[in-house]
Amino acid sequence: MHTKHRVVITGMGALSALGATTRDLWDGLLANRSGVRRVQRLIDSGITVTAGGEVDAVSPENVDRDHEIANRAIDDALVESKRDAGECGFIWSTGLDTFQKGPSGFVHRSAGRCFTNLASRFSAPRRMIAAACASGTQAIGEAFRLIQHGQVEACVAGGSSVMLTPFYLIGFAGLQAVAVDNGDDPSLACRPFDKKRKGFALADGAGAMVLETLESAQERVATVFAEVIGFGVSQDAFDLNRPCDDGAGAELCMRRALADAELSVEQIDAVNAHATATYSGDLAEAAALRKLFGNRWRTVPVSGSKGAIGHAMAAAGVLEAIVAAQTCATGVVPPTVNLRHVDEGCELDHVIGEPRDIDAEKVLSVSFGMGGQNAAVILSRGSNG
Amino acid sequence: MVYLAAAAQHNDLAKVRAEKPELWRHVRRYNQPVQLALAAADEVMRFSENPSTAAVISLAPCQPGSADLYRWGNVVTAGMATGTLGNLRMNPTQTLHAVDNLAMSAFAIAHANHAYCLGLGGAAGQAWCGLEAVHERLNGLEEEALLMAGDQDAAEDGSPGLGVALLFSTRAKPYQPLDRTVRLVSVARSRKIVDVVPHAANGLAALLSSIAQHRSGLLSYVVPPEHTDGFSTVTVTLEIS
Repeated sequence: MHTKHRVVITGMGALSALGATTRDLWDGLLANRSGVRRVQRLIDSGITVTAGGEVDAVSPENVDRDHEIANRAIDDALVESKRDAGECGFIWSTGLDTFQKGPSGFVHRSAGRCFTNLASRFSAPRRMIAAACASGTQAIGEAFRLIQHGQVEACVAGGSSVMLTPFYLIGFAGLQAVAVDNGDDPSLACRPFDKKRKGFALADGAGAMVLETLESAQERVATVFAEVIGFGVSQDAFDLNRPCDDGAGAELCMRRALADAELSVEQIDAVNAHATATYSGDLAEAAALRKLFGNRWRTVPVSGSKGAIGHAMAAAGVLEAIVAAQTCATGVVPPTVNLRHVDEGCELDHVIGEPRDIDAEKVLSVSFGMGGQNAAVILSRGSNG
Repeated sequence: MVYLAAAAQHNDLAKVRAEKPELWRHVRRYNQPVQLALAAADEVMRFSENPSTAAVISLAPCQPGSADLYRWGNVVTAGMATGTLGNLRMNPTQTLHAVDNLAMSAFAIAHANHAYCLGLGGAAGQAWCGLEAVHERLNGLEEEALLMAGDQDAAEDGSPGLGVALLFSTRAKPYQPLDRTVRLVSVARSRKIVDVVPHAANGLAALLSSIAQHRSGLLSYVVPPEHTDGFSTVTVTLEIS
């Protein structure tokens, strides 16, 4: 039996609708602010859905935007960790193929080629994760597992997405998954768990984490932001377009993460929810969390980030895990931006309006993907000991 | 110990449609790589002890989508350039064709599989990551693992495709086509920059062909450079009884 290594986070990078740094992301959430707004290039295309989570740090005119957004998050994480890419594995999701504006019109950009280009400076393992909206969380979990079992000392894990194009907005609108404009303030487009929710706001973004063994972090005297202590995945095996009503698949992956961490549900202090603001998704997630927590469901704070940054698809899970890591580090649970009136069936201990300082140490962060892929990670307050 | 229990390849959807109408009803909405991967998976899962508990590792196509989706994409890109998209709608079936984890989800629904799942994306050489993941999972976590892939030469024009599925087990079962045991010993890598031809299924098909031609004893299969991720030499070691 191999000794399991403890796995810690020593660097993070985030580009989101709230800004180009992890600090921007965290400060925006604490301020209960949404970065979702009308996006000029969507208005220019003539479609009816124009609210989105735009990343301003890289120009929409840059034909290499998919690489640039990902690389900036990766570089920020590596710099913070003081690690070289060549000594790290790379577990990443670049989402789906996309279209990017080039000098002679729109060009098709392959997610696979984007991954290969990003991976070129890393060591093996170089795994591209494809689990829809659960990709970012699964990337963290897979990297955690590889490091825990001694197959690699350090990994960069995360995801990036540049799907904020009419191509995907029209597709998701057809599935009634995105919030269609109706004259509202665009910053209110995505309202997780709210009575007025009408779907998510699609977003671009990237999130990266450097994960490594606690031993190597101690040896390098690296700052530890949080520890990854559990990981679980599951499949709904129910429907391609919607979750099962009782959230059974979601509950299963959370229970697997708890078992992996050797924790009881009583030891979880807070949840960073998937919280897409789709009608059926939020109901299923709330049902799953109530079943998971049993009698405690009224007292475990739940927060979601998509009201503030939109749904960044392959990047969503890691951006949310970065928020969860900040919660572990500070004890503070940010509010669910745009949640005002909790819908019937979505009842949980929602954090509304302002952050809640509860000295949270252990946070469950979950993602549920289209097709029924579910992933959960559990983070714990980091220490060097 | 990890053993290859069964493998299947499919490249003819007309045959699937004619010979397996029930399977065809299940897969007909999907795009070619997914249909072919699921047809191959359906065949190997006949040898599974419990399809609902096997780990599922699925490779997304390197050439995703379908001819219909690409035609629609061209309409959108033209409209994006001129600002004339208006209330354009998308056929929900074509939406499915854009989804990279579709084969894994469809397999889970068909087999009521809630087990560990890993979708690997459509980048060159991910097949060997899948094989490494099989090794990891069958080292104490699950008893069976399915590795499946489907791809096509190009999505835009409905060109030929290939689906491959391999079923692995912790039990020393005879590998069906050969009636001999095939043990997966290791997957090893060393750094080397090479040119690749991205395709999710071709690399695994070439490995199966090499196994079929090997008489017995250790097989040290050096993955052809074009089937790697472009940064590694990959050597798969198998022991054939």
